[in-house]
Amino acid sequence: MTRSGEYEMKIERGRPVPSVDWRLGAKLRNRLELLRYRVLGTEIDKGILFKLVVYFILINVAFIYLKPILYMMTTMVKDAKNILDPSVIWVPRSIYIGHLQEASRMLHYGKSFLISVSLASSVSVLQVFSCAIAGYAFARLDFPLKKLWGALLLFTFIMPPQVTILPTIMLFKQFGWMNTFLPMVVPALFGHGLKGAMFVIIYRSFYSTLPKELDEAARIDGAGSFRLFFRVMFPISRSATVVVLLFAFVWNWNDFYFPSLFMFTADNVPLSITLARMAGEMAQAAGAGEITVYAESIKMAASFLIIMPLLVVYLVMQRWFIEGVERSGLVE
Amino acid sequence: MRRLEARTLRKLEGSLFIAPWVFGFLTFVAFPLGYSLFMSFHQVKIEVNRTQYVYIGFKHYREILVANGSLLYEELLPFLKQSMMMIPIILVFSLFVAILLNLKFPGRTLFRVVFFLPVIFSSGQIVQEFITQGEGSLSMMQSLRIDYYLREYMPAAWASPIESVLSSFVLVLWYSGVQILIFLAGRQTLPASVYEASRIDGSNPWNTFWQITLPGLVPYIFLNLMYTVVDLFTFPSNPIISKVNTTNYGSSSALAWIYFTIILTFVLLTLLLYRRVDKALSGR
Repeated sequence: MTRSGEYEMKIERGRPVPSVDWRLGAKLRNRLELLRYRVLGTEIDKGILFKLVVYFILINVAFIYLKPILYMMTTMVKDAKNILDPSVIWVPRSIYIGHLQEASRMLHYGKSFLISVSLASSVSVLQVFSCAIAGYAFARLDFPLKKLWGALLLFTFIMPPQVTILPTIMLFKQFGWMNTFLPMVVPALFGHGLKGAMFVIIYRSFYSTLPKELDEAARIDGAGSFRLFFRVMFPISRSATVVVLLFAFVWNWNDFYFPSLFMFTADNVPLSITLARMAGEMAQAAGAGEITVYAESIKMAASFLIIMPLLVVYLVMQRWFIEGVERSGLVE
Repeated sequence: MRRLEARTLRKLEGSLFIAPWVFGFLTFVAFPLGYSLFMSFHQVKIEVNRTQYVYIGFKHYREILVANGSLLYEELLPFLKQSMMMIPIILVFSLFVAILLNLKFPGRTLFRVVFFLPVIFSSGQIVQEFITQGEGSLSMMQSLRIDYYLREYMPAAWASPIESVLSSFVLVLWYSGVQILIFLAGRQTLPASVYEASRIDGSNPWNTFWQITLPGLVPYIFLNLMYTVVDLFTFPSNPIISKVNTTNYGSSSALAWIYFTIILTFVLLTLLLYRRVDKALSGR
């Protein structure tokens, strides 16, 4: 390039004006090239233009996800003046925490919060252990009728809980477990419970991605399956465990269906049930002609009180969670 | 002899590991499943200290399917149509987002945190709350009067499900949380070396997507399809789910079984399709 440039320069020495013109043109072309390089990149997915488009799309979708949460948080701190003021949409002029107090009173927040925490965490911890054991057996161990049980595992995953719910209710009634936590906790102990089959499948696919040499080395060292599992396999499945633990905790926390059928008449109920009861009370009050501008704010405050612990758990765990999703072989 | 012993020993160990799960399956899945099938053929009367069963054959099924079909045909069919339209939207959207989130750009972690939020929310009643607040709809729909055009140009049987999908479009996005996760996890299994090679060979990103990423993700597309089918059919807004209740054990069980058969058909079709596609791809 430079050599041919020099050559051309030599020829055109006699006529200086076009030479300057040419050099300017080259400079301009260089600039344009650079600009093109910066904007479009060597390949499409490395340039600024592409990145701008990606950011545009992502920010828009992120806004769709965040909007209801923002709406919830602004609505719950609005007092009567802010609610009735049409110029206040997103940012209230003052912060009023009365709705939060009212909602927490109606939800029996202190008691129900403790119940929800203990129920969701005990069920999710049990599910992590029992599903890891079952998933490990499905991936690595040999037992009679393995193919059949594998098919039944898939079947359990597909089956909606509604098919078995009525006999299950009758079964637990026989055991005298109604209005206790046992109907949620005991199935979890055996690797079932809310979406238990899915967790077994996650663990199974995680364990089947691990190299076979790991088992063999431990076996040569004389470790039995139990020591192998608890000393080696379970500890290294951290990334799958994080994913399962978060899913199990969140889904059990949010679950309304099982508690509503197994313990609706109980006094000590988790938050999902108290929320439903509160909504019922408020609908009744509205039906009786008690129209209040606060209803919306109180509902949003209640929603916030229920979601907030999950948000905290998620924000604490998100780093490991995202890493876990990438590494766990969540799917295989 | 000794080797045989070692093998039986390993089988025994394996059986011990799987035993709790099998026990749980028999008590909490198989037994209730058989029992609900049994009840669906009976008239069930619950008395104070015992339950009476009178065999009535297929009467419950006939009632739901033929005699009094309003529940199945007027409530379930629109719901099925709606979910059939939601499934492709969910799949395409989640695949798209997962691929974007897999790119390297500043602030990626922040976006990932935001995009996994639906996993937390969508299982709860909070989403129901948002639906009633009207947070589910896109304001664009009203301003462009899309519903009007739909009603004008589409057959009525399809216009209303499409309309309800559009009006809850944001909700569709909300229900794609787990699917995004599955796609993102699946994308990690495609080796970077293949992408490197295709880049050196001068393939542009567009071709790379169609030739490498998409075929590589086929198993995950089907996994997601299955997950979405199962998830949608146990949706809180599903008309059938609230109908399975304790007022009439017999006919509720029959309804649940009919419903389950429909789901099973869907999933089996999915699997069949997957076999076909898998064969076609590996044959190439």
